[in-house]
Amino acid sequence: MELFLPIAHIDVNIALILLYGALVGFLSGLVGVGGGFLITPLLIFTGVPPIVAVSSGAAQMAGTAAGASYVQWRYGNVDVRMGAVLLIGSWLGGGGGVYLANYLERGGQFGNVVIFLYVVLLGVIGAGMLVESIRAILRRAPVAAEGVPSARRSLLQTIGEWLPGQISFPVSQVRMSVVVPLALGGIVGALTSLMGVGGGFIMVPVMIYLLRMPTKIVVGTSLFQLLFTTAVVSVMQAGINHAVDPFLALVLILGSIVGTKWGAHLSVRLPAEKLRLILALVVFGVAVKMVMTLVTPPADSYALSVPVR
Amino acid sequence: MRKALLWPAAVACALFAGASAGADSELVVVPETSHVDITPEFTGADIKAFGAMGVAGDLIIKVEGPEQRMTLSRQIRLGPFWIGGGRVRVTGAPGLLYLYATQPIASMLAPAEREKFGLLLEEVPVRIEPQLLADAAKDWRQAFFRLKEKENAYREDDRAITIYGNRLFVADIQLPGDLQVGTYNLETLLVKSGKVVDRHTSHFEVRQVGIERWVSSTARRSPWLFGLLFTLAAMLLGFALNVIFHR
Repeated sequence: MELFLPIAHIDVNIALILLYGALVGFLSGLVGVGGGFLITPLLIFTGVPPIVAVSSGAAQMAGTAAGASYVQWRYGNVDVRMGAVLLIGSWLGGGGGVYLANYLERGGQFGNVVIFLYVVLLGVIGAGMLVESIRAILRRAPVAAEGVPSARRSLLQTIGEWLPGQISFPVSQVRMSVVVPLALGGIVGALTSLMGVGGGFIMVPVMIYLLRMPTKIVVGTSLFQLLFTTAVVSVMQAGINHAVDPFLALVLILGSIVGTKWGAHLSVRLPAEKLRLILALVVFGVAVKMVMTLVTPPADSYALSVPVR
Repeated sequence: MRKALLWPAAVACALFAGASAGADSELVVVPETSHVDITPEFTGADIKAFGAMGVAGDLIIKVEGPEQRMTLSRQIRLGPFWIGGGRVRVTGAPGLLYLYATQPIASMLAPAEREKFGLLLEEVPVRIEPQLLADAAKDWRQAFFRLKEKENAYREDDRAITIYGNRLFVADIQLPGDLQVGTYNLETLLVKSGKVVDRHTSHFEVRQVGIERWVSSTARRSPWLFGLLFTLAAMLLGFALNVIFHR
């Protein structure tokens, strides 16, 4: 069934968008990543203007994260002080990103920047994961030091102790300069505005491996940060860039909630290294497809569209 | 079903109007409907215009949509990559321009006459912004018309008008799914031996209805309020679905 998206100004197949939502929800249920990195490229491949894809993705994540972060909150897994500092950073980064997106869109360069960022990010992450998971499967033995934070201090911890503005975060059992979570939040917020990703793939490993926070608290706190960052970015993308398509976001939310349940079911049956291989293949595949769109000559080098603004 | 009922009524209407107007006008045209409603499922509309002419001749019906501001972008080659190579805004051109006729227009009217009545697809006064050098602007203009014709928004058709008994006619106007909202002009010209002898103008309205209309007007008029309300709604929906599914 075709649905006309009033902001994106194109007709899309509802079933296809539902499927995208379900696929992303499925991945997040299966391996615990948000999957925003997948939604944006899929929507762009379908013909949604990049700025609408990125903005509607932020709205979709705000919706999907609302339910999940409430559960984490109830379990007491949210470090509110850490979350608040991260949020200040990510609101600044996210707000700056929305204005940067606006500037780039006016010059007609936003699409280029998005695709470039995705190729680099997904290529690097996908290739790394692919190598790592193939190795794990070949060895059939637990990789040493993988998943177990070592006792040595990380470089980031040392920097965090040296920078001014020390605060302690009792819930996370860490003490560091306020600059570290501010900067981390800022980077992740900017990625939300420019790429439509939640940034969990950066936030979670940094907090677990480099800041040595307890995993349970990391999951809860990063979801808390994700919820309020994507919500603010979504409001700003609608306010400044007029780029949030409500129908698109709602259909994605519906699909992703169903998919999450499905993925969570399957994840208990599949071994962890296979799951990581699946994710690595998906990430790598999207990166390859992105490169293909860059090197394939367009059918028509000119294109007409109704402006988003 | 609705159309079957409207047919005779519209023809009668056109006849009556034609008879009463016959003294001072040779031509009358009535669109089947005064408005086309765009709903989320809208995939195009097929509307008929009925008319009568006092004397036998050839007909041209020009359907012209409201001005549509568009963005025209171009991809350029950079080494092995194809990347976005700039964009321009196109204003002043109608979103849709159909020239229906009973014969190819070129065989009916001289070019000067065609230009006078705006009957040349590629002579629409488009403005390209930002201002460019004449040569560069020409490339963009040509691309604009080529794309408009390719997506069937600008076209000439000499088979869409059917004449009955040299006096009555029906034009079959096929509107595409992505219609610009606004007033569409329907200008009918009666041509006899290379001259336009009469013209008649009528119009119909294309409007959005229901939630589609509310969404696009709110999103454009109060974008901040829309963003805030929609984001809150999305969060509530996500929360509610989560409660239902993961109980």
